Amino acid sequence: MNLFSLQWKETFRAPQWEAKISIKIIIALVSLYFLGAFVFGASMTYPILNKEILDREPVEVFNGILLYIFFFELVLRFFLQQLPVTNIQTLILLPFKKRKIINHVLLRSVFSGFNTTPLIIYLPFAISMYRDDYLGSQVMAWWLALLLVTLCLNFLIYIVNKNNLYFVLLLAVVAATIALDFYTQIDLGHITGAGFDAVVKQPQLAGLFIFPLVLSYALVFYFLKRGFYMDAGLAKKKTVVQTGDYSFLNFLGEDALILKNDLRMIIRNVRPRQVVLMSFLFLFYGLIFFTQDIYRQQDFVMVFAGLFVTGGFSLTFGNYVPAWDSSYYKLLMTQNISYKKYLLSKWNLMVFVTAISTVLAIPYVYFGWDVLGIILAGSFFNMGLNTWTTLFGGLLNKTPMKLNVKAKAFENTQSFSLNQFLLIIPKMILPVLLYWLPAKFMGPAAGYLSLAGAGILGIIFKNRLADWITALYLKQKHETIEAFNK
Amino acid sequence: MIQLNSLSKKYEEKTVLEIETLNINKGEHFGLVGNNGAGKTTLFSLMLDLIQATTGTAKINDIEVAKSEAWKKDVAAFVDDKFLIDYLTPEEYFSFVAQLRKVDPNTLNEFLQQFEAFFNGEILNQKKYLRDFSKGNQKKVGLAASFIGDPSIVILDEPFANLDPSSQIRLKSFLESEVNKDKTLLISSHDLNHVTDVCERIVLLEKGTIIKDTPKSPKTLKELEAYFSGQ
Repeated sequence: MNLFSLQWKETFRAPQWEAKISIKIIIALVSLYFLGAFVFGASMTYPILNKEILDREPVEVFNGILLYIFFFELVLRFFLQQLPVTNIQTLILLPFKKRKIINHVLLRSVFSGFNTTPLIIYLPFAISMYRDDYLGSQVMAWWLALLLVTLCLNFLIYIVNKNNLYFVLLLAVVAATIALDFYTQIDLGHITGAGFDAVVKQPQLAGLFIFPLVLSYALVFYFLKRGFYMDAGLAKKKTVVQTGDYSFLNFLGEDALILKNDLRMIIRNVRPRQVVLMSFLFLFYGLIFFTQDIYRQQDFVMVFAGLFVTGGFSLTFGNYVPAWDSSYYKLLMTQNISYKKYLLSKWNLMVFVTAISTVLAIPYVYFGWDVLGIILAGSFFNMGLNTWTTLFGGLLNKTPMKLNVKAKAFENTQSFSLNQFLLIIPKMILPVLLYWLPAKFMGPAAGYLSLAGAGILGIIFKNRLADWITALYLKQKHETIEAFNK
Repeated sequence: MIQLNSLSKKYEEKTVLEIETLNINKGEHFGLVGNNGAGKTTLFSLMLDLIQATTGTAKINDIEVAKSEAWKKDVAAFVDDKFLIDYLTPEEYFSFVAQLRKVDPNTLNEFLQQFEAFFNGEILNQKKYLRDFSKGNQKKVGLAASFIGDPSIVILDEPFANLDPSSQIRLKSFLESEVNKDKTLLISSHDLNHVTDVCERIVLLEKGTIIKDTPKSPKTLKELEAYFSGQ
């Protein structure tokens, strides 16, 4: 009971509850939107897996892909889910039985957002099954089995999470499954599916799923108990140092210093690595839009896609300048470096990565010269103007960043503010206008030139823009230091 | 060198610091004592422009700290662990500061040699990031780094706290002897012994105001002890 009251206080006294009510409403709406999208998607799955066309029961088709859903879920959990162990350290000396603390931690982990898949994905599907002509008992059994598997994954992930080797093992299992399916007659996905098909036919079989759950619980319990000392399982993982002095950057002179530090920050910390990984995925945005003729006709979609393909890094990284440096902001504010130089280094990094992304995006020319045109023009706009807008947006973001902790769900939205939302206008709507107006009257080439030209102006006048942004940063200096000090 | 004029800091209605005038001369070793909440860290933070003064000004070499960034080249500080970059190794951190201070790698290596005893073999070549060091060792790194590049003003908040006894003694002797006499040194401490050993001028803060400002004399330690024991 005691432990739960602590938990309660921790949750409701957390800083995010102190966020402005307007932001809470926006977050709630966004959450509702995603929830709705998932539920809707899941409900549509059943009718889409049409019996007449596939000549199989939709449930059987769905069961056949379940194994891959589980794999996907595990990988996603590996990257995002964190075992709530951090505050055990304070409890360890208090008179709680170890067993009680571990059970509490594990029980608490059940209420993680990652365990909502049974509710938002499987439940709508189950309801569709019921509305078709399955019996209540069949549907219940099927859903229950999936719920038990989800919980089982929830516990397993803590073992996988402790050691990267287990993760490699997981990837190996996934690869082996796919390889077996491809090259041999053994289709594990099909076998798993058959298991769930059996549950649908014989509902009482769902009871069997209790065994893997108990097993995984016992396993993770054992793991935690064995490591239940400050210096073992509960301690923060000590990392082996990665050296590398990045001296190849020295040609940049003084600017190289902050740049090198940023590279180290990205390579050595979990959170920035996550962001950079995500920004890499932006490169593939084009595959969605440039391949469809419907989108190719729409100027604004083309401009968006062109901006996204090369802008992933600057949009995501820049949004957290200066929050990336929040844990040593006071050092930077008192050391012998001017604010302008600091900002210019960040700008250089963003331009540098945008340039690399542009080179990587050249193969898009396969889809046509107009695609390459919009990507190049978008890239210039990203380098010259979106970098500055994003740096300005980052200033509005005053939540200190814990570098070596994975982002929790919605943690990225916590620092979201209305002003940042409004920045979509210069970041996204302005470039659409810059392209669309000239393109409408003088053809696409004029559109590319106008978009790229605006970006090039931003590069030419970078000193002016830097002065201007620096003045804004200086104005907010004390407020930022105070916020980062929390 | 450092001039404070009618400097005050208020949080809503609560005044945490109010100083009519305070001048600190070049080469002075200035010690700040006071109980928790007396305003020591607030005072240093105002000098470093880390917080905004409610009224008044702080000037370093006639530069108003809130108006220009030009004072930064003369000042180094270690106030708390927000001055450390925790994903760097100590070597990388020293080199980062050295490059900001325009100190070349050889000079840095020579400089670090004088800390050999203070570091006690636990800082350099450990192949660990700062976040994996103990609090005491992190502090040693921060303290040593604030002397890189021979800044003319060094501000240290509670430099002795968290250090083991041997390190406290080694730090004290470094501050007494190695720090040359044209360097202005500002330290705050709860440890009356250390602060009276190191500093020539002692300022006592209570509830945000200066209630004692004396040059160190043989009697100072006794007087301070008497004050803090409430006699």
